[in-house]
Amino acid sequence: MYVRLFAALWLLFCAVLAVLAWGFQAPFAYDPVGPRAYPLLLLALMAAGSMWLLVKPGLLDQKLDSSSALRSVLCMLTLLAYALLFEALGFIISTALCTFTLGLLFTGRVLPCAISGVLMGVLLYGLFDYLLDVPLPLGLFEAFVES
Amino acid sequence: METLNFLMQGFEVATRPENLMVALFGAFVGTIVGLLPGLGPINGVALLLPLAFALGLPPETALILLAAVYLGCEYGGRISAILLNVPGDAAAVMTTLDGYPLARQGKAGIALSLSAVSSFIGSMIATCGVVLFAPLLAKWAVAFGPAEYFVLMIFAIACLGGMVGDKPVKTLMAALIGLALATVGVDSTTGVYRFTFGSVSLSDGIQFIIVVIGFFSVSEVLLMLENTHSGQKAVKTGGRLLFNFKEFSFTFWTMVRSAVAGFVIGVLPGAGATIASAMTYMSEKRLAGSSGKFGEGDLRGLAAPEAANNASACGSLIPMLTLGVPGSGTTAVMIGALTLYNITPGPLLFEQQPDVVWGLIASLFIGNVILLVMNIPLVGLFARMLSVPNWVLVPAITAISMVGVYAVHSTTFDLVLMIGLGVFGYILRKLEFPLSALILGFVLGELMEDNLRRALSISAGDLNILWSSPISLVLWALTALMLGMPALRWWRARRTARVANA
Repeated sequence: MYVRLFAALWLLFCAVLAVLAWGFQAPFAYDPVGPRAYPLLLLALMAAGSMWLLVKPGLLDQKLDSSSALRSVLCMLTLLAYALLFEALGFIISTALCTFTLGLLFTGRVLPCAISGVLMGVLLYGLFDYLLDVPLPLGLFEAFVES
Repeated sequence: METLNFLMQGFEVATRPENLMVALFGAFVGTIVGLLPGLGPINGVALLLPLAFALGLPPETALILLAAVYLGCEYGGRISAILLNVPGDAAAVMTTLDGYPLARQGKAGIALSLSAVSSFIGSMIATCGVVLFAPLLAKWAVAFGPAEYFVLMIFAIACLGGMVGDKPVKTLMAALIGLALATVGVDSTTGVYRFTFGSVSLSDGIQFIIVVIGFFSVSEVLLMLENTHSGQKAVKTGGRLLFNFKEFSFTFWTMVRSAVAGFVIGVLPGAGATIASAMTYMSEKRLAGSSGKFGEGDLRGLAAPEAANNASACGSLIPMLTLGVPGSGTTAVMIGALTLYNITPGPLLFEQQPDVVWGLIASLFIGNVILLVMNIPLVGLFARMLSVPNWVLVPAITAISMVGVYAVHSTTFDLVLMIGLGVFGYILRKLEFPLSALILGFVLGELMEDNLRRALSISAGDLNILWSSPISLVLWALTALMLGMPALRWWRARRTARVANA
């Protein structure tokens, strides 16, 4: 069932991309193929594959129960929030928050998660920024640090 | 003779202090990543790739690091398989079948030490194979023109579909999705922007690291959420810690056979360690006949998959180094790493960058010895790593992934793209699309298009060039064979079912 749904959506997606790809045209012909043919070929093959899966989706013994689906969605939202806040809040704060939330999602208890969050933020920042020379955003702490 | 000289030169590179340190570090990290359930060699290589850049390692050192991690993972996967009955990586699934029963019988120490030695023998035999065959293949591969390369890549993808077996259509679809992802960005020949949706961040294409970390680390985090197995206790390692000579000689020929088979399977593009360990386990079981206690703790059932998966890991370096076509998901990531260093793997690599190639091969020998020495006495320490709870482990993986992606361009866009790809990868995995095929497609994508267009430029658009040379004809025939395999198997299964019904 889910495979069929995915195949149908993917077919639609391929169609949209094919319309987009149709517009790829080079102002000069540098080579006999041009930028359009190869993506169109791939899209056609993918569409064929999707159609096959629409007809013969095969067996999939995955059941979606609502509690684990909810947890998955929460986890995705946490990760997305982490990505969006990474620069704005800075590495230390965003990592601490994300570690705390993810820790709770992964059945950790509140206090240990809070402690591991703060530790993770500070220690990883130290490790990467000072020891390994990977520049990380300071975010809110920027005001306190004189450059 | 020439090969031996090059090998000595390689040892000179590999024994430089910084390279030895890196190999030691990589082996250690690799073992840990390998034993953590869910994290396999691809994750290990993906997590350390940004680190290699951050440290500004030269290409040969970076490759040695990644190869050590790769080998280490194959060693580490067995620890959780034996003690927890949870394979640490996909290739260790077969190890659980006999390893866990052995541990339950109080022979965990024997199982762990014997499997470490099987891994060692497997890698050693395969590394000798690499020394013997890689230069030969490299010489031969110089005859490949763009048309032959294009067909070779089609063959690699067809191999995946034919070997991975039960889901050929999904495997091929995954490879196509990977190929399509690689077309995003500015077209290198004509300068036309493709699928960028007007975004500046995409004009350069999707960064390799973002794809790997998104598809493997982020989707892994989501998968781990479902399998947060709590309460499962590792079996204590008690009793005799080392196998005796009788047990060793009992399994020796199994190890050798499985190592050779694993090596051959590893060399085939597309087929990786998982297939190698499954195939050797089955054939050893058949060879042993009724005398074996396979599935209840037969030492041969432990030695075969362990020797095979390490051998195939080393074997898969051959197509990567000589042809530039990866033999497994992990080597696909390593090719990506090389291209980040502006080194194109392929036949010329042996002539232009002998330090890189032979340093890598020599480091395989050294890494193996390090891993064997590390794995037998330190196994207790590694086993303790299994008790790190997920609520510490998962956030750590997430944060390191974020740093890895952020280090490339320092934009929020990349981070969001990584999460998006991760969610997409999670959905694909839930629908049982193999992601290693996708990453293979992504790595091959650009090469494949370039070679196709170069070939057609040579022939001024005449498609005949794709099947004009004997090499490409042979490759087309092999491709057809590979694509025909699932159909053949299906037909065979149906016929036996019909006979059984009648």
